[in-house]
Amino acid sequence: MNEGDLQRFERVVLPHLDDAYTLARYLLRDEHDAQDVVQEASLRALRYFDGYSGGDARAWLLAIVRNCSLTWRKRRRVDERTVPFEDAEDALPTSDADSPDAAAVQASEQARVQQAIASLPDEFREVIVLREVQDLSYREIGDVVGVPIGTVMSRLARARKRLAVLLQIDAREAS
Amino acid sequence: MVCDQYRDALEARLDGELAAEEAREIDRHLATCPSCARQFATLAETRRVVSENAMRYTAPDVLKARIRGAVARSASPPVATGTGNKFRWWREIAAGVAIAIVSSSITFMAASRSARAYSEADELLASHVRSLMPGHLTDVPSTQQHTVKPWFNGRVDVSPAVPNLDKAGFPLVGGRADYVRGRVVPVVVYARRGHMINVYAWPSSSQGGSPANDHSRNGYHFVNWRSSTGRCPT
Repeated sequence: MNEGDLQRFERVVLPHLDDAYTLARYLLRDEHDAQDVVQEASLRALRYFDGYSGGDARAWLLAIVRNCSLTWRKRRRVDERTVPFEDAEDALPTSDADSPDAAAVQASEQARVQQAIASLPDEFREVIVLREVQDLSYREIGDVVGVPIGTVMSRLARARKRLAVLLQIDAREAS
Repeated sequence: MVCDQYRDALEARLDGELAAEEAREIDRHLATCPSCARQFATLAETRRVVSENAMRYTAPDVLKARIRGAVARSASPPVATGTGNKFRWWREIAAGVAIAIVSSSITFMAASRSARAYSEADELLASHVRSLMPGHLTDVPSTQQHTVKPWFNGRVDVSPAVPNLDKAGFPLVGGRADYVRGRVVPVVVYARRGHMINVYAWPSSSQGGSPANDHSRNGYHFVNWRSSTGRCPT
């Protein structure tokens, strides 16, 4: 790879490492596995940078991260039923609530949401994370996951339905 | 019950995926159909709770340093062997006694002439290898020298130099406190093309400086020096 391509890679792809890491954390539910996968995905992205056609670099990188995560999971045979509890603690520092009580409430809300997302089946969890955390469009999600938009919509709908039940959200209370 | 023809459209409306005219049609329907309106409110609330509370993680600095190092390595020719400019960085590092260990297969340096230095090197090597295991590298991960240096205040009895070596190609990764030979010592961590460099420092009873001394051990590269001026000798 020549110097110009390399600089372009650093400029358009490397700024998305936090998003890549976030997706890997959700898909693998382990921080060390996530680190390894993001490193692997970044190097793979570099190798295939020729094939990047100039669309949304973030979605392009996320697609590679997702594929690497799937391969990793198959290789490692991660037990899909376990749900690590560490995320509840991780949630604390990002709290920007102004009183300790509010911060505690928010932290517990974050832990609840984290648990709910973690408990979703893989195919629902990935669309929820791509939509609600990464803010991708249906089309981008379809590209990342490799399914038609109609499938994205039905998975998203079912994932939200489950989350609403898990989080006990009902419009009668919400409104 | 949600009206069948609007089932999918409610989600699409929420996600901003409808054209303006379709969106207006849904809004008109929501204004007149309580059951669809309630379903829409549940969806919107679910979306709000999840997107506001779901964690956004930050990739650890050490991971970013590794990736940037590997990317840079893929373009540039391998580091030349031999002495010369590549060792200039540790001249910049000020400390009483400092030992830097680089995990590199290219060049090796170490500190060991006496039996005492030998076992010191053993401990440093163990500490270095341990630091490379996930989650052990830094207590204060930061690329800012002004964050890393003050972190050592009150934690260790030496204040290590934390120079900015970005321009020389050694980005700062962070710092940690470690325990070596019965002392709590500061460790400043730098990256170099995907390799990690641990710089340890502690006070010396000897006066004056000593020339830098290099050695290899188990494929790791050690540099040892003593300095009274705060600079590493050439």
